[in-house]
Amino acid sequence: MISRSEVIRMAELARLELSEEEIALYQQDLNRFVQSGAELRKIDTDNVSRTAYVGRAFSLLRSDEVAESLPQDVVLQNGPKVVDGCFRVPRVMEDEI
Amino acid sequence: MKELAHKLRTSQVSSVELVQHYLDRIRAVDSDIRAFLYVDEDGAIAEAKASDERRRRGEPLSPWDGIPIAIKDNICTVGTPTTCASRMLENYYSPFEAEVITRIKQAGMPILGKTNMDEFAMGSSTEFSAFYITRNPHDLTRVPGGSSGGSAAAVAAGEAPWALGTDTGGSIRQPGAFCGVVGLKPTYGRVSRWGLVALASSLDQIGPMARTVADAEILFSIIAGHDNRDSTSWPNAAYRVMDAVPDNLKGISVGVPEEFFAEGLDPEVACSVRQAIKMLENLGAEVKPISLPHNIYSIDTYLTLVTAEASSNLARYDGVRYGLRVEAPDCTTMFKKTRTKGFGPEVKRRIMLGTYVLTASHHEAFYEQARRVRTLIAQDLEQAFSSVDVVVTPTTPTTAFRIGEKQDPLQMYLSDSYTAIANLAGNPALTMPCGIDRKGLPIGLQLIADHFREDLIFTVGRVLEQSLREVEAGGEL
Repeated sequence: MISRSEVIRMAELARLELSEEEIALYQQDLNRFVQSGAELRKIDTDNVSRTAYVGRAFSLLRSDEVAESLPQDVVLQNGPKVVDGCFRVPRVMEDEI
Repeated sequence: MKELAHKLRTSQVSSVELVQHYLDRIRAVDSDIRAFLYVDEDGAIAEAKASDERRRRGEPLSPWDGIPIAIKDNICTVGTPTTCASRMLENYYSPFEAEVITRIKQAGMPILGKTNMDEFAMGSSTEFSAFYITRNPHDLTRVPGGSSGGSAAAVAAGEAPWALGTDTGGSIRQPGAFCGVVGLKPTYGRVSRWGLVALASSLDQIGPMARTVADAEILFSIIAGHDNRDSTSWPNAAYRVMDAVPDNLKGISVGVPEEFFAEGLDPEVACSVRQAIKMLENLGAEVKPISLPHNIYSIDTYLTLVTAEASSNLARYDGVRYGLRVEAPDCTTMFKKTRTKGFGPEVKRRIMLGTYVLTASHHEAFYEQARRVRTLIAQDLEQAFSSVDVVVTPTTPTTAFRIGEKQDPLQMYLSDSYTAIANLAGNPALTMPCGIDRKGLPIGLQLIADHFREDLIFTVGRVLEQSLREVEAGGEL
């Protein structure tokens, strides 16, 4: 069983704030998910390799050529807060340097 | 589509007239169906005028120059919003366009607008759009499927001649089946993912949705091809449309996995797909029983991988570089408040599940085990294609369900029971309509082929489609 505190820890890792109802709901969902996948974890896969890429293997190497990139103002156009060509975020350091 | 191209070539119709026809249709029916999140009337008309001008000069960019298209809203376009049907990206305008959009433009095709979807492509009904639900044109009380529900509904309702969708576990094929349109999930690596907002990068593919198999093949040929900005793009990805297909299927072998006809399959869907298989046999195909024993694990494997990859991919929405930001005195609180406000309930659910399977204590038992079972699932298909050319299955266990009917997320996930296998193994798979049930709802049949053998899918699909049309017109089986 996945506990309530474990759900809260997951939310913390995922940077989500959950209401009491959401904690209860996702606790239930997580437990059902773990239950439904129980058979999956019983399959003997000792000698089975892990799949990450399903395409046909090919060489990724190519010549390293300089190509055009987007201008800075275009890259920054969606920034919620942009100052002097930078994305501005709340202060990270405690004191003035 | 060939007929439309002919009319454009011989000046029987202009691109402006064509685009206007679809815009009129959208205006007439989309207040009920709500397939579109954004209709770009001015942009589409301007592109149509440019197309007519090219034709007047005798310089069309392609045979399809001037034929418009609708685009799912998780594919980046410049000048129109790309929202992924999420509050998080409600005001997002991409600074660059997807490779598939560049290819669509190079073919001269005006873009009608962006279509609705489940938020960040997470869902099977388009009910999880943060903005509004889309309705099935065959029955407005039912879902169009998802997550490419807007694209499927737009094509089915005649609001667009064809559209682009995306498919991570069935998101082109399931709505295709529910709306009675054709949709292809291409081989992984055949269509560039550059400019597609990622859900699960090892599973996602962009693909065509159209009214006929032949049209889907044309659209596929426009978007397929190598792109070195997508490191999984296959060097020989280009596809050429077959000029003609045979009038029979002699020499082609078709595998039928009996596991797909077991419990959980609606009897009417089973009956209709079996009739189509009989038709394939009558057309000369050799029908063989095959086995895909690990498919029963495909949904759990898929869920583990899709949630893990999604939770990682969606970490980028933190309010710093784009999208929603909720101000707070410190960064961590800003991240939390932004993500809590910007994501809908299904997105949060999947991020929570994905975070769980990736944590150090569960990583091996869940995520790594799913990657190993993925190998077994892929090996089943590989084995099948050593003895058959295509595999035929139902696309979905049932026809379109009612809006609000599936409240249980685990039940909703079962919609992808027959489709996720092709994403897990990377194979191309197509849905095409093969009948209707007693409620008048479309039934979809799925054709799966070996990697990069879309040609076999289109051959069988086109021959079967022709045959089904003759039966519909009153011919004999």
